[in-house]
Amino acid sequence: MHQGAWLLWALGGGLVAISTTNPFYLLPLLGVAWVVHAARGRPGPQARSFRIFLIFGALTICTRTALVLFLPDIQWGNIVEAAMEGLRLAVLLTVFGAFNTVSDPFGVLRLSPRRWHEPALAASLALSIAPRTIAAVSTVREAQRLRGIDVRRWRGLVALAVPVLETGMEEAVILAESMDARGHGRGRRTRYRPERWGRDATLVSLASVFAVLVAGASSFGDDPSLALSAWPIAWPEVSPVMLAAIVGLSIPAWLPAAAPARAPQ
Amino acid sequence: MASGRCSGAGTSVTSIDFERVSFTYPDSDAPVLEDVTLSIAEGSFVLVTGDTGAGKSTFIRAINGLVPHFTGGEFSGCVTLRGDSIRNTLECAPRDLADLVAFVPQDPSAAFVVDRVEDEIAYSLENLGVEQTVMRRRVEETLDALNIAGLRDRSVRTLSGGERQRVAIAAALAPGPRVLLLDEPTSQLDPQGAEDVLAALQRLVHDLGITVVLAEHRLERVAGFVDLAVGLRLGEPVSIGDPAYVLESLSSGPPVARLGRLVGWSPPPLTVRDARRMAPALTLARPPAAEPVAGTSVLKAVGLSAGYGRQLVLRDIDLTLAEGDIVALMGRNGAGKSTLLRCLTGVHTPETGTVELRGEPPIAAHNVALCPQRPESVLFAETVAGEVEATLKAAGSRASPDATLEALGITELRDSHPRDLSAGQRLLVAIASIVATDAPVLLLDEPTRGLDYESKMRLVRFLRSWARCGRAVMVATHDVELAAQVATRVVMIATGEVIALGKPGDVLGDSPVFAPQMARLFGPGWLTPEQVAAAVTA
Repeated sequence: MHQGAWLLWALGGGLVAISTTNPFYLLPLLGVAWVVHAARGRPGPQARSFRIFLIFGALTICTRTALVLFLPDIQWGNIVEAAMEGLRLAVLLTVFGAFNTVSDPFGVLRLSPRRWHEPALAASLALSIAPRTIAAVSTVREAQRLRGIDVRRWRGLVALAVPVLETGMEEAVILAESMDARGHGRGRRTRYRPERWGRDATLVSLASVFAVLVAGASSFGDDPSLALSAWPIAWPEVSPVMLAAIVGLSIPAWLPAAAPARAPQ
Repeated sequence: MASGRCSGAGTSVTSIDFERVSFTYPDSDAPVLEDVTLSIAEGSFVLVTGDTGAGKSTFIRAINGLVPHFTGGEFSGCVTLRGDSIRNTLECAPRDLADLVAFVPQDPSAAFVVDRVEDEIAYSLENLGVEQTVMRRRVEETLDALNIAGLRDRSVRTLSGGERQRVAIAAALAPGPRVLLLDEPTSQLDPQGAEDVLAALQRLVHDLGITVVLAEHRLERVAGFVDLAVGLRLGEPVSIGDPAYVLESLSSGPPVARLGRLVGWSPPPLTVRDARRMAPALTLARPPAAEPVAGTSVLKAVGLSAGYGRQLVLRDIDLTLAEGDIVALMGRNGAGKSTLLRCLTGVHTPETGTVELRGEPPIAAHNVALCPQRPESVLFAETVAGEVEATLKAAGSRASPDATLEALGITELRDSHPRDLSAGQRLLVAIASIVATDAPVLLLDEPTRGLDYESKMRLVRFLRSWARCGRAVMVATHDVELAAQVATRVVMIATGEVIALGKPGDVLGDSPVFAPQMARLFGPGWLTPEQVAAAVTA
């Protein structure tokens, strides 16, 4: 599918997440991100990075909630409010994590205008660092474990960090050499085979634009269902239109994937 | 640095000229290349050979200017590419030469820029500003030339070793360079994969007149393909010429060349084909019977099946390792060798089946040790001794590291920094840090990648002495000559199943792909040149 459609999808999901603290919107959105990741995630290290985003999301909820515990005369309302704000950030991270596993960073880069090529390339390489580092960490951790060194202990941390950083440095140099040797930075550039905008891309974009419009209209219209009322704590209302917009974002999961990428061992 | 002389499209390179080239790396006192003057003509298939650290990579990188543009250091002399334009690497950066010279590094997975195979192949074309319609055609032609059209939509991160290497070569070839530089292109490939890649390169040389320059340690694989060799030795003048002549002056060489030296053939043959013409002159006694390994069983795996997710990688594997055993685990890329090793160490839990070491389950560092594919992934200490001490300390032992260092013959490296060592020395240090706890079973995953002959012999000597003291060793390897030299038994696996198990002479002897050179010459049962030379009767 066209990378632009994925970009719109991430934008739609992200805007919906930011606009609300209502768990009846946020949790379905979390589910949507999950099914899209499960149905359309590309094989390889990116698949594992989705889990990292989930873990970070969980951490966000915990830290955000833990922070209010230090408030004087704390009430249940404070905790619920903080937890929902944490959840909002966590869902935003999850949507981004799903986008990261379904999209091709370099494909997204192609969408950038030619004069922005350099910064966009830097950004797409930076995005690829996370999966590369995750792969290196698991290799080194296993190798050290087989040697009897537990890298989870504080003293074992050096045994993990040194090989991972050195491997990272070596790989960075190899990549830079390879890019230069392949003519990167010669100025004149052409573009290979622009991606085609197909029916699937249109469907996903429509769903995404709908989600953006609904989230926007609700925010500007001060829709009461967007915020969870914590004073006093009460079950929030649910607008069927907003819920429909969120469920609509799961559309990529129901479309048949065009070219199934097979993961060999 | 790019001057006007570098711009514009070149279309030919009739020769690569080194004129008095010397180069010293920034942190080093001694030059790697010293006063090198030579010329490589168009359409040559060149092998750059020499021990680790003799400057093979440096030589190759000097051709497109990665040395000194990327390395810094002291460079003198001049490397010139002559053709319809004359460019030298001091004025032109590697990117300015990208239309003429392509480069494939040793570890292609780190060099991939883009995610999808097809886009990766188009990447250089985009940088060179090739028209879109031309680009489409070039990408298709290149996919076909390397026979990888089926991989076009795959992510480069999910390819097997052989596929990765072919994609990297395709990506380099797409812009139609006149010179192709490759740093150890077959080091990660199984014998058949290596053969395929080399045959593809030879076709490029023959059909398109491209100059191919490659560095390689496994001479038995490449000697039959190349027509020119550059021999590098630290502190000595570089030799260039006919491969037979260049390799004669070096101590290493493929097994047939070593045999030639042992029995006094001059010049020593380079390929099995050459050797066949001379072999009838030898009268041989019967091949020595392999000594049976009579030790008690140390490791026993029964009915092992394992996989990742729903995909089964190993199916119903039974295996025993006895004291004194050195088992070579062979099979093509992706056959399940690494997974089997991970199961035997206990880090990967099999779906069914059990692994027992003298009645206990495997416990890493206690009763089983594994040397990983990249020795660098365990090295972190400041000194070699510190590296071994770290393992001992983690096992709660206060023993001195000296005994282990001595067992590996690296006592003199005691206080060196592991990162300053050569690939061969680093491997020995990694092994030392892994066997320090004296686990009765030692597993090694592909240990001979990037090792020169001398380092390989040190490894062989260590493995033999280690096994002789009542331990068991298993080596997963693509290196058939290593297996021929050191193995007491060979286990061959394919698609996760054991397809052959037995003495090396029986398992490797009559295989068209896995047979060592001596078996090809004298029939199954013969494994090493030393064995053959000892059996010469007249």
